[in-house]
Amino acid sequence: MHKFPFISYKLLLIINLFFLCSSFVEAKRPEYNLSLQNHLFYPANIIFPANTKVKLVIFNFDSSVEEFDSFDLNREKVIFPNKKATIFIGPLPEGEYHFFGEYHPHSARGKIIVKSENHSSVSPEALTSKQGEKHAH
Amino acid sequence: MLINTVLLFIQSVLPMFIIISLLLLRFTTKSKSLETYKNMIIMSGLTFIFVFALNRYMENLSQLFDGKGTEIFFSFGYILIYLCSVLLFLLDNKHKINNAKKALAFVVFLLVFSLNGSHFILYLTGFGAQSSLLESAGIESLVVGIILAMGICSSVAILFYFSLRYSDSNIHIKISCYFLLFFSLGQLMQSITLLQQVDVLPLNYSFWNSTQFIAENSELGQLFRVLFGYEARPSFMQLIIYFIAFFVPVLISKNRYFIRLSTGEKL
Repeated sequence: MHKFPFISYKLLLIINLFFLCSSFVEAKRPEYNLSLQNHLFYPANIIFPANTKVKLVIFNFDSSVEEFDSFDLNREKVIFPNKKATIFIGPLPEGEYHFFGEYHPHSARGKIIVKSENHSSVSPEALTSKQGEKHAH
Repeated sequence: MLINTVLLFIQSVLPMFIIISLLLLRFTTKSKSLETYKNMIIMSGLTFIFVFALNRYMENLSQLFDGKGTEIFFSFGYILIYLCSVLLFLLDNKHKINNAKKALAFVVFLLVFSLNGSHFILYLTGFGAQSSLLESAGIESLVVGIILAMGICSSVAILFYFSLRYSDSNIHIKISCYFLLFFSLGQLMQSITLLQQVDVLPLNYSFWNSTQFIAENSELGQLFRVLFGYEARPSFMQLIIYFIAFFVPVLISKNRYFIRLSTGEKL
């Protein structure tokens, strides 16, 4: 007799399919990169499209642990030294959403500017900021 | 730094204090006492090992499933806390299976301490490892923050324990049991947020925004979050899960067939 009759192969298959499906859906999300170096976020300002869920990959190039924190986005993620972390954000309405590093809240700061695709007026601040690298998947 | 430490304490350490209060309330009589020396040693030892192991391997864990490992592991733990608490809520009247109830309480205690404790230790060790941080913020603010936060957490837990003990004996015998359910709903909501963060569960727009009244990052917001899973901007999915997770165990406990089954009456 099977030791754990409730853990059937069918159940394991369903769990596998669930995770496979979730990664398949995820692959369609626009991807943005953010890096952390010398306790500063690069780029400090990122422009995201409105009403779209995006994948944000954060690389920590520092030799110390940092925590990506945002009360506006309700996100909290520990990033270990020389490692990357992935979080998903949105869909968000237009606006500005601030984030910071919990260990260096004075230097590691940035914001996500959410704009609709057909938005014609771009603030000078947003224009001067370096746009985060985007990889369409 | 001081405010950060206090907030982190309320977020990570207060759940440990609250669960001790709740479990002591449900297991106070001598026949089903949890706090025997043997139990205390086993529980403390295992909790220490779990917190240490989780803290030691958190970095490796975070890199699993394309950087989603921590969220998946922690959300699984939070869901387990909810399920064990629901069983404790449903089996509250069933005195014949006290050992099973003790085991469930033990699992809840261990998980709450391990998951919240590892996050707290990570914060402290991360802070301690960066000497520049301690120099700029000052060790005094960290120490004052810890003392202040410990005072807040222990005061809230003691107040919570005695007010629930009073209401259990004077208003309704199951009030603390309902608070255990609300506490576990708070843990379940954390797992929903984590699963949404890594796209395992779909993200939707917020159903309402009560940030202006009680901000989630405020002391009161954090306290409500621990006590009953307060969310300032909940999504529709979070609301649905919250109501289902609350009403299903309550309706089961009200079911006459279940009441007979739990009290051991003949069906």
